[in-house]
This record gives sequence, structure tokens and C-alpha cells, in this order.
Amino acid sequence: MSLLSNPYDPGDFFDEMYAAGGEVRPHYRSLVERLTSLSLPEFERRRAAVDLAFLRRGVTFTVYNDSEGTERIFPFDLIPRIIPAREWSRLEAGLIQRITALNLFLHDLYHDQKILKDKVVPAAQVLSAKHFRREFMNFSVPHDIYVHICGTDLIRDRDGNYLVLEDNLRCPSGVSYMIENRSAMRRAFPNLFQSYGVRPVEGYSEMLLKSLLYLAPDRDERPNVVLLTPGVYNSAYFEHCFLARQMGIPIVEGRDLLVQDTRVYMRTTGGLLPVDVIYRRIDDDFLDPSVFRSDSMLGVPGLIAAYRAGTVALANSVGTGVADDKVIYAYVPKVIKYYLDQEPILPNVPTYLASDPADRKFILENTAKLVVKSANEAGGYGMLIGPASTKEEVADFRAKVAANPRNFIAQDPIMLSRSPTWCENGLEGRHIDLRPYVLCGEKTVVTPGGLTRVALRKGSLVVNSSQGGGSKDTWVLDEDK
Amino acid sequence: MPSASKAPAPRPQANVMLSRVAHSLYWMSRYIERAENIARLLEVNLQFIIDFRGYDDAHLREHWGSILASSGDAELFDKHYESADSRSVTEFFAFDLRNTNSILSCVFAARENARMIRDQISVEMWETINELYLFLKARSTADVWAAGPYEFFQDIKRNSHLFQGLTDSTYSRSEGWEFIQFGKFVERAHKTTRILDVKYHILLPDAGDVGGALDTAQWQAVLRSASALEAYRRFYVREILPWKVAEFLIFSDSFPRSVHFCVAQIDEFLRRILGESGARPRSEAARSSRRLLADLQSLSIDEVLKDGLHEFLVEIGMTLEKISDEVVQTTMFYQAESTQEEQQLQQQQR
Amino acid sequence: MLISLLHRTTFVYAGKAHDSFNEVRLRPVDDANQICRSFELKTDPSTQIRDYIDFYGNAVHYFDIVAGHERLVVEAQSEIETTPNSARPPVPVVARSGLGNAGENELHSEFLVDSHYVPLEVEVWKEAKDALASGPSDVWGDVQRICRHVFTSFKYKPRSTGVATLATDAIKLRAGVCQDFAHVALGMCRCSGIPARYVSGYFMKAQRQPDDEEASHAWIEAYVPGFGWASFDPTHDRPADERYIKAASGRDYADIRPVSGTYRGGKTRSLKVDVEVRESQAAGAMP
Repeated sequence: MSLLSNPYDPGDFFDEMYAAGGEVRPHYRSLVERLTSLSLPEFERRRAAVDLAFLRRGVTFTVYNDSEGTERIFPFDLIPRIIPAREWSRLEAGLIQRITALNLFLHDLYHDQKILKDKVVPAAQVLSAKHFRREFMNFSVPHDIYVHICGTDLIRDRDGNYLVLEDNLRCPSGVSYMIENRSAMRRAFPNLFQSYGVRPVEGYSEMLLKSLLYLAPDRDERPNVVLLTPGVYNSAYFEHCFLARQMGIPIVEGRDLLVQDTRVYMRTTGGLLPVDVIYRRIDDDFLDPSVFRSDSMLGVPGLIAAYRAGTVALANSVGTGVADDKVIYAYVPKVIKYYLDQEPILPNVPTYLASDPADRKFILENTAKLVVKSANEAGGYGMLIGPASTKEEVADFRAKVAANPRNFIAQDPIMLSRSPTWCENGLEGRHIDLRPYVLCGEKTVVTPGGLTRVALRKGSLVVNSSQGGGSKDTWVLDEDK
Repeated sequence: MPSASKAPAPRPQANVMLSRVAHSLYWMSRYIERAENIARLLEVNLQFIIDFRGYDDAHLREHWGSILASSGDAELFDKHYESADSRSVTEFFAFDLRNTNSILSCVFAARENARMIRDQISVEMWETINELYLFLKARSTADVWAAGPYEFFQDIKRNSHLFQGLTDSTYSRSEGWEFIQFGKFVERAHKTTRILDVKYHILLPDAGDVGGALDTAQWQAVLRSASALEAYRRFYVREILPWKVAEFLIFSDSFPRSVHFCVAQIDEFLRRILGESGARPRSEAARSSRRLLADLQSLSIDEVLKDGLHEFLVEIGMTLEKISDEVVQTTMFYQAESTQEEQQLQQQQR
Repeated sequence: MLISLLHRTTFVYAGKAHDSFNEVRLRPVDDANQICRSFELKTDPSTQIRDYIDFYGNAVHYFDIVAGHERLVVEAQSEIETTPNSARPPVPVVARSGLGNAGENELHSEFLVDSHYVPLEVEVWKEAKDALASGPSDVWGDVQRICRHVFTSFKYKPRSTGVATLATDAIKLRAGVCQDFAHVALGMCRCSGIPARYVSGYFMKAQRQPDDEEASHAWIEAYVPGFGWASFDPTHDRPADERYIKAASGRDYADIRPVSGTYRGGKTRSLKVDVEVRESQAAGAMP
């Protein structure tokens, strides 16, 4: 008895492993062979070993219901998602194109605003964006890079075309799982892994450190780079510690830093140490109580003044959220055309804007058939999947849209692609997406692979960890089979 | 505010230690040591009362009263409890969360500090202290008393030893290690002076009782509270003489809980923490520590008894506090949670 | 007119304050109606002061005082030359339909929607309808009618409101000070589709009573197509003239706070503001 003993039903979706006729796609053939030869008990054994390792290593995220917090393992599925080399090259080019355009866009928005004056993007949409930071106007940032770390979510439609679902330009997370998943796969299937020829992801931390060092103000001594975390109560704290340790940099909280004379310092047992670059995993709102939310205990008063004076660099920069606003997302293809004079390599999911009168009418009349999202929520919250919702839920959401149209967009539901996933009794198809990580430093680099998230609940389209999602290792092959 | 007015330090070493992290390591260490010491103290005294059947009610009250007095929390106890007896005192020192120096409070505080710096300590260290915390949280006073408090004290001591042992074997000999050891020995030295002071100052025997059964039994209890009975016997053979006990617990340079031994460690780690490598101490803390060590190396028990043991012990306690305060201020100082951001008041436009 | 201006803010703390990070918007602007001839900013305790221009074009000076201090004094002195009334062009009559030009409205969209102090709720709409009950006229005409409506229907009553009072609160109270009058007028203009912004500044009173409390003042500017931003003072029912000095503008009070920031330490025991606006005796003819 092996995993593949029971027949697998790809259903009416694009399946990563099986083509239309039931044939295994070429790049999955070796994997299928291996799985066929693997007995069920053996597979179970490897799965249990991986789970135990995750638990021991503390590869968790924390859900806070009370002050205790429950630590959960981000469920990991042993069946990898495999991407052939040629397919990846196109994704890579598309992602680099997109982030390059977004950085130019951000620079323009916070300086001359030419794109607004040329009416390519309506000024009203930008100015009313929740994360457009007026305080940041005319700020100059090192090398004019605003987004240093980007996680862009990709999905595939029924025909297997890749589409961009959304960009994450503020504090994208999940990279630690990508690295831990890879370790797990290596341990679980050492020979298979070797023979496949998978491009490594382990170099991520080194690349990240390099991009951070690139931002350091010019000085003789080696720059002091730190990771700023909200602290133990943050659900991604594990990842913060993980990355800091991998890069060999100190992990600090707001209260460990102070600003004196527009320079940022760290409080150490040996005195005050100057800080040159901050990889911040705290949202803009909480960064500096003297400029943003004054009730924030997590931030550092005077940090923005120091940033303005150019004595410290922040990654990602302040105000990047305006470009990952879901309404602004709809304009990104135009943004790419405007700055690069190119057609987007990776298309958007077709989007309706509630702020546009014609679109709004369409959305309100068809709410039950659409996926409706609020402009600035994350983690799968603030979203309605019309076809999967009750009449009450639809009516509620419709009222919200009518009351505040600027804040909503809608999309036709995309039938996300599926990947065979181990479920209780056998392999079943589950919907997945892909979050590759892009680093912008001296060069723009896309880590080969990324985090493939799986909606573990049968029929669910929601892949987020906080709502029943899991992940798979993503294998980008270094040559085509 | 020391940190703010300090001049910026020279360039980063390979591993910088955040003041906040040092602070947590120090307190984690002190609280574990404190919990263990209280457990031992209670255990010994409970055992003593059971063993020594010659105790009447008045003596019993006096006995527990002395323990309370030495802890400095007598007033707090009186606020919440009617009278001092075995059960109430044990409750107060072991389980009462209103007492910040109860075993439970100390373990909770130690675990909280450990949690704040979880990525700094080894997995084993964290798991040990977290398990102890979870175990304690799940029990109630009634449960423990029914099962027998000795079990409880054994658990505390065992876990404390386990924790300290794991720290020994899994924590790198780095700056963090120095803060952990510094905290542990400061706490331990403090406790030894207190244990000694209880008997000498409070449980003074009546003229007729000196050397009698009660007196001797009490001195044995003192030694047991410091885990020192066997070591003492090895050193001094059979007789338990008060001035010899005092001498042993204060001046022994080989017994790990003696004040002298602890202060020698404190001095060593303090100098490493403050970067005092020269022959002459630069900071006030190093100076005090050096002086204290010199006294402990050179004074005799006769001199101390002549001038007053109680005063001597109290003075040591104060010096230890001064030294540790200064080290905390210099190296571990960081903004406490309580300093909120205040907004500058605004004025309306008229 | 040549005007000398002093604006001094004194904070006294209960105990000590430290880690104080502040921003001030006190420097009068340079525009068609005024030129700031000199500006000096001092603090006590003294510290280095830096500056930048914010999103609305206001000059912002910022500084920090880390060490403990029991009080903070921020003092700005400036000399401003205002364009005489005779040299100011009149505001033209522009039909309301002129505002419908999408192009211009895009860039002024901020001044037509909700802001922190001016949520465009039912009360504001109603007040605007009442003011323009006889129907819309031209842009500037309507702005004046709106402001006149506020001037006549609201009572100027110091201490009836506070620095956090929203426009909707003031409408319910039907009273307030110039900050509130400005917010209400802004809300009404915005509900009527006229872009309007908040102006913070000073007004030079020719005759002062001995116990007159001088303070910074607030009024509004409305956008008149083809002309630009035209200012009107709803508290005094008149356009801002050569006696007015503009310091900063934005969507509402939140964007122009004269002195703002955070610090750590005891609460503020007292806040005192001294403002002196005087016609300057300096010699020198004006063009």
C-alpha cells in the first residue's frame, strides 16, 4: 500500500501534478515513482519525524487568545510543489519587473507625484489610502529603494496561468517557514532531493543581510544592523528570532533603542552603540510615537527624525503600504507601463473598484458571486467569498461596501490550482498559492521557490496560517526535465 | 538617567548584549535561587518543628515569627493572616501570590524573565523552567498540603538544581553567563546572612538554654537551611557551637554557600561585567566589593562577635544591595515599562 | 504692514520630563500675501533644531531634549511684511459649475472629504443646506454666506469647547472659539463641494484691552477656480486681510498643531501660551 494506491481526483481545477488526461506532468514523474515505491507506514514515519522536529525546534506561530498564547506548528505537507526551470524564469522576470515599477512608483508618490499629475492613478485614491504617509513626503531614502523585502502572492487559474493576487510590501512574513520546510524535506527524502536538482533557498539570510548592509550610511566602521521586533507577544516572533540569528545580528525591541541628536543608539551593557540599519518588523503606525500613534509602546521616539536626517536606514521604508493597498493594486499594470514602458509579464486578477460608480453597481448587484475584499486587511480577514457565504453574510458585507466604497474591491472568484496533499486517508487535491520573496539591494533577487501555502480544509480557498492553512516546500528545478 | 548621558561606546564587539537582556538574565537567576532558598528554609524549619517535640505554643509562634522577621515581610503577613503557625507561614512563603517573595511568585517571575529572553537561553533551560511554572500553576495550596509539603519543596529544589545544572552545561561562557552567575551569588550571599541572622539575632536562647537541646537543635536547623550540616561536621568534627557555625557560614573559603565564597564569586563576575581589568578598582561597585572581600578574607569571628554579629550581617546585606544596584544601573538599565509616552498638551486656537 | 510676532509656549511638568521629541509649525509662510522677513526659534533647555517642509508645504522645526528637565519653553519670534489690502486682487465671481473640473478636484480631493476633526456627518450637511437655503450662487459668494452663517448662528464662547472638540460637537453646542468656527465652516464648504482648508496663524488687533488673551488664531481658505485659495475668517465675518499672518495650513487642526510631541515622565502640570502681535515700528517704506 502506498500513497498513490487510491485513485486521485484532480477535479475541475488545474492540478500541479496531474495533467488533464490523468497523466503525471514530466517534472513530477520522479516524485511519483518514489511515492509509489514508498509504503504507507514508511511515509507516516517520515511525516511524524518531521512534525516532531518542527515542534522541538519551535517552528511555530502563536495565536493569542489570552495572555498565554497557544503555539501552533504551521502544518507542513510532505508532498512538494515543483516548478520547472522555464516556468520559473518567467515568474522571476515578472516579479523583478513588478517590484522595480513599485519602487519607482513609491518614489514618485513621495516626491513629484508625476503619475498623479498625469492622471494615470487618481490622486484621490492615493491620498485616501490608509497607509499613505504624509509625514514621509520629500524624504530621501538610501538608493531610492523603498521596498527592500517583498512577498508577492501568486495564484494559478484553471488554465494554469499565473496571476498576481497581491503584493506585500510592509512586513511580509513566512520566510522562516520556507527555510525550515526545506530542511525538513532534505531530512525526509534525502536521496530524492539530491537527484532532483533543486535550487537552494538557504542563501536567503545572507542575501538579506547584504541588502541591509547596502543601505548603511557611508561610514568607516562596519555598519550595525539590527532587527526591530514588537516582542514576544507578536505571532511572528519565532521568525524574527530565526532571521536575526541566521544573519548574526542583534534582535531588539523599541525600548532597547534611543535617539539622541538624531542618531539611533542601542542600550548595551557596554554603553550606547550606534545603529545604522534597522530591519523593522513593526508597522508604521507603531514605529515612532512622536510622529505616528502616540500610544505606541513598541516604537522609538525620534526614529523618524533620525531617518529623515539620514543617519539610519529602515527596511522596509515608511509608507510602502500605499502600494499594497488593494485598491491601488488594481492600477499596478498601469504603473508598470508608466515607469517601464512595458506590458506586465505577470497579470493581475481582474478587479472591480467599488469607488468607481459602474463597478460599484456591478459589485452590489452581484455580491454573492464575487470575492469582495477590504482595501487594507490581511490574513484573510475583511474578505467575503460570495459563493461560499450565507445570505446574511452577503447582505452584511454589501452594506459595508455601500457605506464606504473607497475601501473595497471585488474580483471574480478564481479557481486556484490544486496540489496533491496528504489528508487523513490519502492524497487529495487542495488549493494552493505561492509567495516568492524578492530582495531589492544592489541587485534585485528572487529567492527560487518561496512559500507554497495550502488551504488544508476540504474545498477551502483560504490559505492563511491563522485560518487553517499549511505549507509545502517549493522546488524550483535548476534545469528542465 | 545614566544611559542617556553616557558617551557612545566604541565600535561593536562580535556579540553585544542588550541591557534589557542582561537585566532579564540577572533577575531570572536571582528568582530561581530565591525560590530554592525559601524552599529549603521552609522545609528545614517544618522538619525541625516536627522533630523537636519540646516546642510549646509560645516557642512555636516565636520560631515562625523569627522566620517572618528575617524575611522582611512580617508586616505583609500580618495584614493577611491571623496568626503565625506552620500552615499559615508555609502558605505565605510558598503559595501566596500577594507575597512577591513567595516561591510561587519567584518561579512565575523567573519564568517571565526567561520568556522575555527565550531566544537567548537553551531549549532545555526554557523547558525546565516552563514545566515548573505549568506544574505549579496547576496545583493549589490544599493539594500540596494534602500530598505533603515536603514533596513540594523537593520539587522546587530539584528543578532549581536542574535549571542551574543545565545553565552550567548549555549556556555559553559569555557575557550572559556572567550576569547569571552574578545574580545567583548575590542572592545566595544575601540569604546566608539572613539565615544566620535569624538565629543569632532573634532566636536568642535564655541564659539557661545555651548549649541545651533546643539551642543545639536550632543551630542544626540553621546549618541545614544552608545545606551545610555535613560540610560543617567534616570541618569541625562533632560539636555544634554557635560561634563556629557563624564562622563557617561567613568565612569558609571552600563551602559554596558561605558569604566569603559567594562574595569572592561576586567580585570576580562584577569585575568582568564592568570591564575592570586593572589592579585598582575604578567604579564604586568594584571598590565596595573589593573592600568587602578583603574583610571576609582577613577578619576573625572573634572580632566580628565583639563588634556585633547582627550589625555585621546587616551591613553586609546593605553593601550587597548597593553593589548590585550600581551594577544594574550601569549595565542593565533600560526604560521600564512604566514610563509611558505622554503627549505634549495642546492649546486651542482662539 | 510690518508686524512683529512673538509666540511663546511654556510647559511645566509635575516632576521631570525626559526623552522629549517635538515638532513645531510656527514659522509664518511666504506667499502672495506676506513675506516672513525674519524668524528665530529658541528653546529652553536649548538644543539643536532642525527643519523640513511637510506635505502641506508648512515649515516644520523639530528638536529633542533627552535629559531631564522640569519645564520646556519654546519661543518663536518673527517679523512679517504683509501685502497691503490695496495691493490684493479681488476674488472673482466664478460659477459653481467651475468646480466640476475633475482635473483640479483630483489634487484637492483631500479638502473635500472627511478629516479627523471634520467628519462630514449629517449635522454638517444640514448646516450647509441651511446656510445656502436660497440656492447656490458663485463659489466665493457661497463661501462668504457659509462663514456668515457660522458667525451669526454660533456663539463665540471661550472655554465652552476644548482642543479635541470635533466640528460635529461644536455644531451641537452651537458655540466655540475660532478653531471650532473654522472646523464647522470647513465642513460646510466641503459638503457643498467647495475644497476648503484650515489655516493657523495670528491676527493683529489694533486696540487691545488690558486683559485681552492673545492666542493663535484660525480661519479657512477656500479654493476658487481660476484664482486659487481665498481666505475668510468666520470668527470675524471678514476675509483675512493685511492684519492676518498665516503660519500653516492643512486639512484641520491635526495637520497644523503649533507645538506637538511626546515625552516621558510626569504629567504636564501647566501649559501657558503667550502671543504678542504688534505693528512693527521698524523704519523702511514698503513698495
